[in-house]
Amino acid sequence: MKPTPARKPAPRAKSSGKKSPATASGKIHPVVIYPYRQPADYTDLRLLYQLIARLDAEKNVYARPLTVIDRKTYFANEGNKSFREFREKTVARHSDILDAWCVDTCQMWYTGLGAAFERGGPDDVYWLIPGDFNYGTKVGQEVLSRLHDLPEICQELQQDLCIGEIATDHNNSKQLIDTYGTFALLYNWFPTEAQAIREYTERPRSEFFAVRHGFLREVLRQRWFAYEQTMVMLLQAVFDNKHISRFLVGNISDLPTGRDSIASAMQQVDRTERVLKSLWKERHQSQSGWQERYGILEAQSEQVRRIAHVILKNLLA
Amino acid sequence: MSFSRYGAPPNKRAVNFTCIAPQAQYVTMVGDFNNWNATTHPMKQLADKAWQITVELKHGHHRYAFLVDGQLTLDPRAMGVTRNDQNERVALVAVS
Repeated sequence: MKPTPARKPAPRAKSSGKKSPATASGKIHPVVIYPYRQPADYTDLRLLYQLIARLDAEKNVYARPLTVIDRKTYFANEGNKSFREFREKTVARHSDILDAWCVDTCQMWYTGLGAAFERGGPDDVYWLIPGDFNYGTKVGQEVLSRLHDLPEICQELQQDLCIGEIATDHNNSKQLIDTYGTFALLYNWFPTEAQAIREYTERPRSEFFAVRHGFLREVLRQRWFAYEQTMVMLLQAVFDNKHISRFLVGNISDLPTGRDSIASAMQQVDRTERVLKSLWKERHQSQSGWQERYGILEAQSEQVRRIAHVILKNLLA
Repeated sequence: MSFSRYGAPPNKRAVNFTCIAPQAQYVTMVGDFNNWNATTHPMKQLADKAWQITVELKHGHHRYAFLVDGQLTLDPRAMGVTRNDQNERVALVAVS
């Protein structure tokens, strides 16, 4: 069979502009989310801040990195000499520290991304870096070497949102939560958008992502949820026909801080449901008859959530 | 450990792509690097029936896809997924 003729590029549904020298000059803003629970072993954090030091040194490419530290973390460790030294000699040396009282991790994101946004400009990209991963392992080091791809993809390919995906096996708790909880609930509340999201990623709650200035401005000005904010951003990106990419950053797991317990898995499903309910109401409450539709979806959602709990109990308990 | 991707990148690098389509009659590679031109990068079928090509790519991130008998096909082993200018799902590769 002969090859088809040259494929002519057609205009995008909604373009955020062509690549330009001005875009190439935009800066990348690294935003580190310091672990809520200070690990006793600093290996992972030391390796992470080696990367942050390198970013801080490349001032033509990267803005001064920011590190968000929850005040609860600070006060829980203020008597800990190792913590104080690491904070002063490593974290503060290579980044600006934002101390904030936060109800949950996504509020730390809000604080960090919001502060970085205020320092940024229209061509800039914001790069969220979670601090509570096992960067000290061989795979974790590979992840550190790949993470930079996320903001670079946003810059080079004019993407509004680039999600970093972590490959896990089918029985990993995150995979189970997303398969039987997150996507099942998304298919109930936002079926069309859920299908679009799954065309990009199996990890709609990933904590690794980069976002362009214009899209971040839009999402910062909307309701920011204390949890599952990546999923909300993905939904918003699909609603608004934004340019989304997904990139594999490796195969790693959280540090053993209890996230994989059955209680935690069920809580993550419950939170996802609460966020989706709120979001659906916000988008539909101006339409007539929304209460009836909401009631039907809520009843279905309860069934989905209960089944997800049963499956997670069977597989994780 | 190495963070080589953060250092000065080489200008171009040869990258191998493989497409598993044993029944296909013709497979080409398209992407930003050849302006999505279906004629410039035909892939070669090897003895094991897999299709292969080596492409010189500049440092950075590139969108690409395979055209299997004229049908745009996503590389299932790609490191990333995005959309091209025609809003079709295509693959992403990073070149350091």
